[in-house]
Amino acid sequence: MAEIQTEQNETLFIQHFREESRPLGYYLREMAGYTALKKAFGMSSDEIIGEMKKSNLRGRGGAGFPTGMKWGFIPKQSAKPKYLVCNADESEPGTFKDRDIMRYTPHVLIEGMVIGGFAIGAHSGYIYIRGEYVREAKLLNDAIDEAYAKGYLGKNILGSGFDFDLTVHRGAGAYICGEETALLNSLEGKRGEPRVKPPFPAISGAFAGPTIVNNVETLAAVPFIINKGGDWFAKLGRLEKSGGTRLIGVSGHVKKPGLYELPSGGITLRQLIYDHCGGVLGDKKLKAVIPGGSSAPVLTADEIDVVYDIDPMMKIGSMLGSAAVMVVSEEMCVVRLLIRITKFYAHESCGQCTPCREGTRWMEDVLERIEHGSGREQDLNLLLDIADNINGKTLCALGDAAAGPVMSFVKKFRADFEAHIRSGKCPNA
Amino acid sequence: MPKCIIDGREVEFTPGQNLVEVAKKVGIQIPFFCYHPGLTVVAQCRMCAVEIEKMPKLQTACSTPAADGMVVKTRSEKVIQAQKATMEFLLINHPLDCPVCDKAGECDLQDFSFKYGDAYSRYTEEKRTYLDLDMGPVIKKNMNRCIHCTRCIRFGTEVAGIHEMVAVRRGNSTEITTVDGRPLETDYAGNYADLCPTGSLTLKDFRFKKRVWFLKRTSTICEGCARGCNMTIHQDNNVIYRCTPRENMEVNKYWLCDEGRFNFRYVNEESRVTVPMARGEVDWDAALAAARNALSGKKVAVLVGSDLTQEEAQLLLQFVPRHLGEAPLYHFGTPGIRSPQDDMPADRILKRKSKTANLHGLEKLGLKGFEALPSGTQAVLLVRGGRARLPELKGVVTVGVGVFRADEAQGFAAVLPGASFAEKDGTIVNFEGREQHLRRAINPPGQSKLLSEILMVWANSKGGTHV
Repeated sequence: MAEIQTEQNETLFIQHFREESRPLGYYLREMAGYTALKKAFGMSSDEIIGEMKKSNLRGRGGAGFPTGMKWGFIPKQSAKPKYLVCNADESEPGTFKDRDIMRYTPHVLIEGMVIGGFAIGAHSGYIYIRGEYVREAKLLNDAIDEAYAKGYLGKNILGSGFDFDLTVHRGAGAYICGEETALLNSLEGKRGEPRVKPPFPAISGAFAGPTIVNNVETLAAVPFIINKGGDWFAKLGRLEKSGGTRLIGVSGHVKKPGLYELPSGGITLRQLIYDHCGGVLGDKKLKAVIPGGSSAPVLTADEIDVVYDIDPMMKIGSMLGSAAVMVVSEEMCVVRLLIRITKFYAHESCGQCTPCREGTRWMEDVLERIEHGSGREQDLNLLLDIADNINGKTLCALGDAAAGPVMSFVKKFRADFEAHIRSGKCPNA
Repeated sequence: MPKCIIDGREVEFTPGQNLVEVAKKVGIQIPFFCYHPGLTVVAQCRMCAVEIEKMPKLQTACSTPAADGMVVKTRSEKVIQAQKATMEFLLINHPLDCPVCDKAGECDLQDFSFKYGDAYSRYTEEKRTYLDLDMGPVIKKNMNRCIHCTRCIRFGTEVAGIHEMVAVRRGNSTEITTVDGRPLETDYAGNYADLCPTGSLTLKDFRFKKRVWFLKRTSTICEGCARGCNMTIHQDNNVIYRCTPRENMEVNKYWLCDEGRFNFRYVNEESRVTVPMARGEVDWDAALAAARNALSGKKVAVLVGSDLTQEEAQLLLQFVPRHLGEAPLYHFGTPGIRSPQDDMPADRILKRKSKTANLHGLEKLGLKGFEALPSGTQAVLLVRGGRARLPELKGVVTVGVGVFRADEAQGFAAVLPGASFAEKDGTIVNFEGREQHLRRAINPPGQSKLLSEILMVWANSKGGTHV
């Protein structure tokens, strides 16, 4: 496996994740706050989008779509108002990176949004924040008030003639509202269900206007890109086509769980777990790694010598997702773990499309049966069949999110499942 | 015209048309549940998945516009497998009791299960069940049969203009219901039953009255108002069981209001006079004689229901001068609606203020709306199809020809029982001047006759002379 040279890594966010960083004064003093905005006002929309493209910033929400390209999809002329929406519905189990950005450095997000709004020609922005982030919603609103008071938001920002209003909208606790079109429905006051695509939000999004939906971490990177240039940002990453740093949330059975900021593609999963996080808790054997939020197909202990970034992870059939790594030691029962994951997606399915509504619950029921001792030999193939009938056949990605874990767990840990079925209970219990 | 290829056949299409519609043009059926041409596309049921060249995933045909040169397969191995999977998913929680379900025989779920599904299920868990809900007088709901296609919800908001059907809870527990479980309010509720692809929403008026495969269908026009919605009468053994809307994009699209849908009830009603009357049941000769006597030597006015056809009105225009002298003719039908100018839209959907179908036609024939009888009028010949509202007539002798309830005809000197809209052929003219045709679905009941026959007998029978 490729050994990666770890130089002194530059980090953008993590050194500021302290209570003292929150006030506007700190942001202006220590993080060159709102200087990027001034610079952006001297640039054209195309120049800003050009820098974004050069930066190789890829969406930090999970899909990894190039941000500059996405911004470029917004039509220059539009009869309907355009919108910039920040997806702060951070709900993928295991993910807790956006929370710290909002909690400690809210102004970097606000500045990024004003620049984004200026670049795409939007005068309204929304931060759709998950309902459970009560404290973060308040902190954001406080920061927005500060920004309005100092003229970084509102009418004629910094004398530029550009107006931009920013509103925090709290979700009501549905995971599906992290899917961008369900988010837009929810924002409009409708039932939180994904929409048929096309049309994509860039053409018809919030209130049917051209809309960009970006993740918190994505938008928070914008001021750095504008200030130091797209090329500089691109070079922070260690792989081609993947710029910047990445906030990685590590949880589960490791000695040092928590949030890490590392260059994109700068390490392997093994280095992350053993070098940065101090190895498996209690020095147990590693059983599995869920590498990108609970929907990412699971990896076995033999599969972790992979560079931890979007493309390499996709190449081995899993995904980087929201960069939330869950480490599982040999003491954890993988059947129980899969039930817990499957239950989550069944519970969070919006219920509009057939395979997801019917299939996620069916998988949960079969898994419960196996766990409670009434599993049958044919159940494992049935599970794989149901998952296959969901995978790629649903209206939105939630179906794939539910199917991926089932397919990967059953295929990679089939012996554990068979042992459950044979003995009618967990062999380790 | 751009072309695409579906199952190896070249098909021309209009830009914007989706693959379901384009395939239909060459007789290729792509199955679907949630799609409906009159509602927004949601691509939820996933039944219409097709394979498109150069696309890795299956695409839903309902939400995919045809593109020039697109190559589509609707029966590839991948598609067939996906259809089987969707049918399996839809049926795991659906009761498998078609024999006792009233939708059987015209159920999309049943038909597509037969055509695209597997004969057995791998599902061994407990089926999901819901509590019943009373939705008011029109629709019976059985949520256990629901497949969550949401056509009803979309019909309410997009067509009927009322957000009364909603989805509550989510995922596997999603329930399609009314807001707070209230009864339905729309007066277009019957369409919910037409739209429902399963037996989840059925018409209270129709359910368990007749197995659908016994019904004979006749394409006709609704006589409920001046729009003239296209509809189908379903009858068996000379009894009408229901009426359903028939697509006509220029008149009523796919819909029918409840008033029009249930208007047929009077046709089968027991109190309808179906034998000739002259202060009691008599034979035709006696009734005709009584009618002639009643009008003879008197100053007569003729009131023509605007529920009659053009042909019937024309017969009267010839008959009256010959047999009733100078008697003036007026049309009647809806209180307060005397001329086409009065006939405004009655809602934002289909209904017109004229509650009869041929007001505009009779005006074209030169008849004027009835306001009051000319002074000195002693007798009235009242001719109607069955729906026109009878004007209040005092102090005159009345002879009725057509369809009347016994209580309506109580004071009449004679009743010559006629044919309702379902029992005759003829032309009616709607508010836009569109000529449409009523078709005979059943025979006039009892001794009732068509107006043409009645007038012919009247004219030819002995004593049928000038006043």
